[in-house]
Amino acid sequence: MIRRFGSSQVSALLVGLVAVAAFAATYGFDPVPDGLPGLGAVEFPRLVCLLLAGMAVLLFLQESPPHDPETAPPIGRDAWMIFAACLAAVPLMATIGMLGTIAVFLVVAGRLWGETRWPLLVGVSLGMTAVIWLVFVKIFRLTLPGGWLFGG
Amino acid sequence: MEAFLGGLAILLDPYVMLMVLLGTVLGIFVGALPGISGSTTIALLLPMTISMGPVPAICFLGAIYCAANFGGSITAIMVNAPGDPSASATALEGFKMAEKGQAGLALGMSAISSAIGGIVSIVVLIFAAPLLARAAYSFGPPEYFALALFGLSMCAAIGGDSALKNLMAAALGLLIATVGMDLTTGVERYAFGVMELSDGIGFVPVLIGLFAVGEMLDQATRRFGKPAIIALDAARVPGMAEMRKCWRSIWIGSGIGTFIGALPALGATTAALIGYNETKRWSKHQHEFGHGSIEGVAGPEAANNAAVGGSMVPTLALGIPGSATTAIILAGLIVQGVRPGPHLFTEQPTLLYAVFASMLAANIFYLVMGLTMAKFFARISLIPPAFLWPSVFALSLIGAYGPNQSMGDVWVMLAAGVVGLLFRRAGFSPAPLIMGLVLGGMVEETLKQSLLIFGDDLTGFLHRPIAMTLIVVTLAGLSWPLVARLLRGVRGARA
Repeated sequence: MIRRFGSSQVSALLVGLVAVAAFAATYGFDPVPDGLPGLGAVEFPRLVCLLLAGMAVLLFLQESPPHDPETAPPIGRDAWMIFAACLAAVPLMATIGMLGTIAVFLVVAGRLWGETRWPLLVGVSLGMTAVIWLVFVKIFRLTLPGGWLFGG
Repeated sequence: MEAFLGGLAILLDPYVMLMVLLGTVLGIFVGALPGISGSTTIALLLPMTISMGPVPAICFLGAIYCAANFGGSITAIMVNAPGDPSASATALEGFKMAEKGQAGLALGMSAISSAIGGIVSIVVLIFAAPLLARAAYSFGPPEYFALALFGLSMCAAIGGDSALKNLMAAALGLLIATVGMDLTTGVERYAFGVMELSDGIGFVPVLIGLFAVGEMLDQATRRFGKPAIIALDAARVPGMAEMRKCWRSIWIGSGIGTFIGALPALGATTAALIGYNETKRWSKHQHEFGHGSIEGVAGPEAANNAAVGGSMVPTLALGIPGSATTAIILAGLIVQGVRPGPHLFTEQPTLLYAVFASMLAANIFYLVMGLTMAKFFARISLIPPAFLWPSVFALSLIGAYGPNQSMGDVWVMLAAGVVGLLFRRAGFSPAPLIMGLVLGGMVEETLKQSLLIFGDDLTGFLHRPIAMTLIVVTLAGLSWPLVARLLRGVRGARA
């Protein structure tokens, strides 16, 4: 069914869905204490949801532009792997800390991006991690998560 | 004048000067990287400012903003790949000049016209911002509400596929801004029992996710190859004949850029495109356009840098961002505990004038660097994507985590990155969402206050001339495309 829709219709349906869900969620807000004058907590979000839903309807009714591979090229296997690497980086931080994760990520993502020279990948990864450590930890005094392996 | 001298004195502090210099170098460096815009640069580097004081932080961000536009033109001329969207008009003539062996001249003209445009707009900023701030003292909540609505309506013209999509993105930003505790009632909204969401969704992780991570994920689907770079020995300072030829273009670009920049939401890209068109229209050498016209470099370069100062006018005087990049700077100011608006001019004038002075200094710095180090900066565009984009993600992780030391913010950044990717693939621009997010609090707060003033009677707006004018202009602007279509239809039927 959805295949018959163009990109505008798919976008409109997604945004419309967000608007409906957000509108419905306002019914779960706690009630406003009695005696407070003016607009409550739900009116503004509801107004925005209605506006959003209205615009989604307008977009749905618009003719979709022809598919442009320049705007939305097909997502290849390597791109999916890079997405997965980004997603995996966050839980990995709990284990080997942020700097460890960055070092590993730079090698893995660089390889997935098509770089085949391992020594260069490792060298750039270590160099970049060292620069980040120097700038953010030493100069700007940010405390980065160490993970349970490097400092819990 | 006293405040301006105070601002200059602050700028002479070696630490502040170092931050301006660092901001200029980073701005040119990152601006020259294809795909990384000034907005992304500032979003990525925002966390570096957290441990700085407000003055060096804002001077640093201001310097990046000034220099990133110029950095973008280097790759536009050398590689035909604008490092910043605002340099896309420069690529039209600049790359053609480079192909004719005039890359050095194009870069030299770009540096000079950018600096002139930037300096003109900052001079305007120095004089216009206090005037606007003084006028804004008579503004109450209804006027601010109308002004914020006007700013949001201008999002329609920011970029992306269509005005409707831009307005939808802005409305999504407004919706995200409602997450967290409602300050007037104390009711939690869309927090779903998650403690991190009670304080609302932070600007920084959303900014970094939408701009940097979204762009990185998008680039992962493209995997472009290494660009071919045109040989360059050095930038060449244009001679008197070339300056005489371009003088009019530079002034046209500076005027247009300052004006467009000062309008809420519209920024350097729009200014540069209009600057290019107007330069061409008023040129005595129109036949050169499309074949490497030096005026076609001077006009848009002056315009996109003039938009920088122009866009700081509403940002600092009213707290309404003049562009997507200034929306991020505004977020940076708020993180630093500085709330822009007319009161800044009386409460912290020295801070403001330090910002103005630092932006002037940044323009002079990048002029010197552009003329002496163009060859080095041009090589930046050759950094392989396999190293560039994973590094952007690494910086994004730190950027999202840094301000609140919260892993929740890292997840928010990732989610915003996915939204950024979907936006790009569906032809939505992320910039209006940021405008909605930044202005959301103001729109709701001032609407509530206005209704309290008017006793819940919306017709109260009719008795506030400034608010009413702004609302009429907003409605006229939004309905104009529809009216124009109807008029065309009527004319077509008559013909």
